[in-house]
Amino acid sequence: MAEITLVEAITLALAHEMQADPSVIVLGEDVGKDGGVFRATLGLLDKFGPERVLDTPLAESMIGGLAVGMAVRGLKPVAEFQFLGFIYPAFDQIVNHAARLRNRTRGSMHCPIVFRAPCGAGIHAPEHHSESTEAYFAHTPGLRVVIPSSPARAYGLLLASIRDPDPVIFLEPSRLYRYAKQEVKDDGKALPLDVCFTLRSGDDVTLVTWGAMVKETLAAASALGEHGIEAEVIDVATIKPLDIHTILQSVEKTGRCVVVHEAPLTCGVGADIVAQVAEKALFSLKAPPMRVTGFDTIVPYARLEKYYIPSEERIVAAVQSLMEFA
Amino acid sequence: MKIFYLPDLGEGLAEAEIREWYVKEGDTVVVDQPLVSMETAKAVVDVPSPYAGKIIKLHGTANQIIKTGAAFITYETDDAPQSEKDKGSVVGKLETSEKKWDDGNVIIGGKQSTGTSIKAMPAARVLAKHLNVDLQSVPPTGPQGLITPDDVKNFADNKTDSSPSKLVKGEALHGVRRVMAQAMMQSHREIVPVTIVDDADITDLPVKADLTVLILKAIVAGVKAEPAMNAWFDGKTLERQLFSEVNVGLAVDTPEGLFVPVIKHTENRDDRSLRESVDQYKTAVSTRSISPSDLQGATITLSNFGTIAGRYATPIVIPPAVAILGCGRGREVAVSRKGQMTLGRILPLSLTFDHRAATGGEATRFLGAVIKFLQEAR
Repeated sequence: MAEITLVEAITLALAHEMQADPSVIVLGEDVGKDGGVFRATLGLLDKFGPERVLDTPLAESMIGGLAVGMAVRGLKPVAEFQFLGFIYPAFDQIVNHAARLRNRTRGSMHCPIVFRAPCGAGIHAPEHHSESTEAYFAHTPGLRVVIPSSPARAYGLLLASIRDPDPVIFLEPSRLYRYAKQEVKDDGKALPLDVCFTLRSGDDVTLVTWGAMVKETLAAASALGEHGIEAEVIDVATIKPLDIHTILQSVEKTGRCVVVHEAPLTCGVGADIVAQVAEKALFSLKAPPMRVTGFDTIVPYARLEKYYIPSEERIVAAVQSLMEFA
Repeated sequence: MKIFYLPDLGEGLAEAEIREWYVKEGDTVVVDQPLVSMETAKAVVDVPSPYAGKIIKLHGTANQIIKTGAAFITYETDDAPQSEKDKGSVVGKLETSEKKWDDGNVIIGGKQSTGTSIKAMPAARVLAKHLNVDLQSVPPTGPQGLITPDDVKNFADNKTDSSPSKLVKGEALHGVRRVMAQAMMQSHREIVPVTIVDDADITDLPVKADLTVLILKAIVAGVKAEPAMNAWFDGKTLERQLFSEVNVGLAVDTPEGLFVPVIKHTENRDDRSLRESVDQYKTAVSTRSISPSDLQGATITLSNFGTIAGRYATPIVIPPAVAILGCGRGREVAVSRKGQMTLGRILPLSLTFDHRAATGGEATRFLGAVIKFLQEAR
């Protein structure tokens, strides 16, 4: 058992599943010789050869279409997009074909594809490299959207996503790629999809988050703990379909809910969570459900991005404002 | 010696321009220390040092354009070259650390809550905070145990009945009970009451004596001795009015509430007339045939509650009168007669008077005369 980073956990899961299942194919720009823009596929070409690790041309729509074709014919492609901001040329293949084939063919065809892409800001990157547009995909019926937040969850959730018979948008927070290490056992054990992970238990407020924001949210929770406010922290992990049950159960206990996400406020996944909390747990609420999110603007460049990403201080302030209600 | 060649700072960028050096030749730097600020077509980025060691040469000055892959910085390094170490990204700068990811006790899904949570409408919560009501103690009436704003309001108004089952549904008082409630509130608001208690020794009274009639006559005797108890008082004008006639209001308890019919000119009546009046009123009250004029004009009141139970009380003066005599339940006690302990019968009396209109001396003189009359009656 080794201590590895989140990006190494991705590589580990890919290698494990390629070894275990010969139908698993990795494709994308620079995923072979170069090992991927973040080295997530490092060493796979040497290990599994050019027939299973494909360096594609610089054409995302083709990557998407190729993956759909492979999947329909019995392969399990794992397609990498260098950044979430580059996925849009493949959007048509993803939402109009991958997401719909099972429905269109009344179940006779399905698309076991994982579309991988790094997401989120915080790495001082240029434009298009800092996107958190998970809501586009969560809005589309037929797609799973999964965002891991730790090396262990990256490993277990990627395995589950590859094994899932339907398309999964697998978003990897680039800010967390090499942020910290964790012991991950390469045992091939998948974690469940469609279920939240409760990272911290508390009775006073429920903090709902995912991806890179788990880092700031956990920091805020321990800062609140020093003020005697015990926060429950839920890592949603699978954005779609959403495990609202776990969130409601927690909110019914705490009576307060703050959703934290890096994506812009308007029509973010937080809007849907808050709506469901209002619909289904209104009478347990001691304060309005709240969102702490990025802003309705293009993610700024390096020097301003720290003001864009919700900070520990913003989360703490939001919770403190809720504590004043009742 | 080790040469650091300018890496591609974006993606496929051919060159970058030096904005500002953070180090100079001769400096010793550590890995990841920012060396220089570079401007590319996409952004301004800080370039961290890939090596540790002393810088021998900087291959360029501010505003100079450097080609990607050209020699950039020459180091004098003691340790083995680290240039082969992959930084893990061709774009941006990833935070790296040897920090361990502490996941604590991760629960897949959530934990079933053991306690029961309070369910309340948001408006109810705000109201509860405003009225300083603890929602824990508010009985819910909404669906599925929901506390409504009305529940909070009722609780705050103390209208909620804490007993589990109510005898009758809550309702506004009307009729006699309403009049009683208003009279009692008026009395409580206006009158300054003092209650004096004493006993009359009625050992020598025949057992069959008509106690109610005797007490009425005793009141007349008391008023003769001290007219100040037979009066009306107006708190607004501070006017006191004494009366020559003694109109005794007789408190009669009924299921509908308290009636106080008035026996006019008690001072002019004989025993039989008084008894007839008492009986007539009791019948009239029970059949609700009493006329309003019979309920007006009392100058003093008698509450003969002892016919039911109770020894002493603090009867409430009914304005505008200034006194009320309460008569408790007679009982046998040991009394002293001529130095001998013997069994006697006593009647407990409680006199409440309005201290605004009368003095304690006047009240006790009245009470003394009442007792004297009762003790000497045959």
